[in-house]
Amino acid sequence: MKIKAKMKGDIVKVKALAKHDMTTYDQAAKKTGDKENANFITRITGSVNGKLVYEISTSQFLSKNPIFKFQFKGAKAGDKLEMTWVDRKGNTKTDSAKIK
Amino acid sequence: MERRKFLSLSGLAAVAAVVPAANAEDFRKTKPTVWTAHTVDDAVMAMYGTKATTESGVTVTMPDVAANGGAVPVNIKSDIDAKSVALFQNANPEAAVAAFTIHENSIINYDLKIKLKSDGTPITVTAIVEGKDGKLYSGVKTLTVALGGCEG
Repeated sequence: MKIKAKMKGDIVKVKALAKHDMTTYDQAAKKTGDKENANFITRITGSVNGKLVYEISTSQFLSKNPIFKFQFKGAKAGDKLEMTWVDRKGNTKTDSAKIK
Repeated sequence: MERRKFLSLSGLAAVAAVVPAANAEDFRKTKPTVWTAHTVDDAVMAMYGTKATTESGVTVTMPDVAANGGAVPVNIKSDIDAKSVALFQNANPEAAVAAFTIHENSIINYDLKIKLKSDGTPITVTAIVEGKDGKLYSGVKTLTVALGGCEG
């Protein structure tokens, strides 16, 4: 996951990109004949100092390589933002970025 | 007696301390039927147990005409003191797109890129904010998509 986090006043603005095909059931059925081959990110979390600041449960209708933008309070420059995604097949990826 | 009282009190305190962590909710596990519902009404019903919403306080920003249904930008904004935010649409095979859990430091200003299937007819995208007051607030955006995104 590519993460950019920047302080603006007392708000942290985040832009994150997850590399994922986000195959829908329809696409999987068309390409492989079995809709159970669909695979997409189902959940993403973001935390700072062990506290959740971002939490989203997702469906197959996010775009391919989806981009997420969000904002939160209660952090300062230099803190580490850690983000994790989990997909339908159980793959998971965690990346972190320092808040600038 | 005194000791028992103390024990029960500390028990309560322990439960109270656990609650904020339990706030982390995976809606795909806790509300599995939301994600298989085919209409917005059914999905909203599965999520909240009611579909009575007030259309105010939530802004959904999207282009009026999206060129590419494979990645349509969405912005959801609200100042409501909320527990959760969910996004639905009526173009794709299933209605639910995403659901956010709002935490202490969260700000409701989310950008996503979503897929929208297109058959040329206008699509309605609905964002629902579940306030801490227990009420549901909604924001709606109607748009058309030039090229569908789900056909692959």
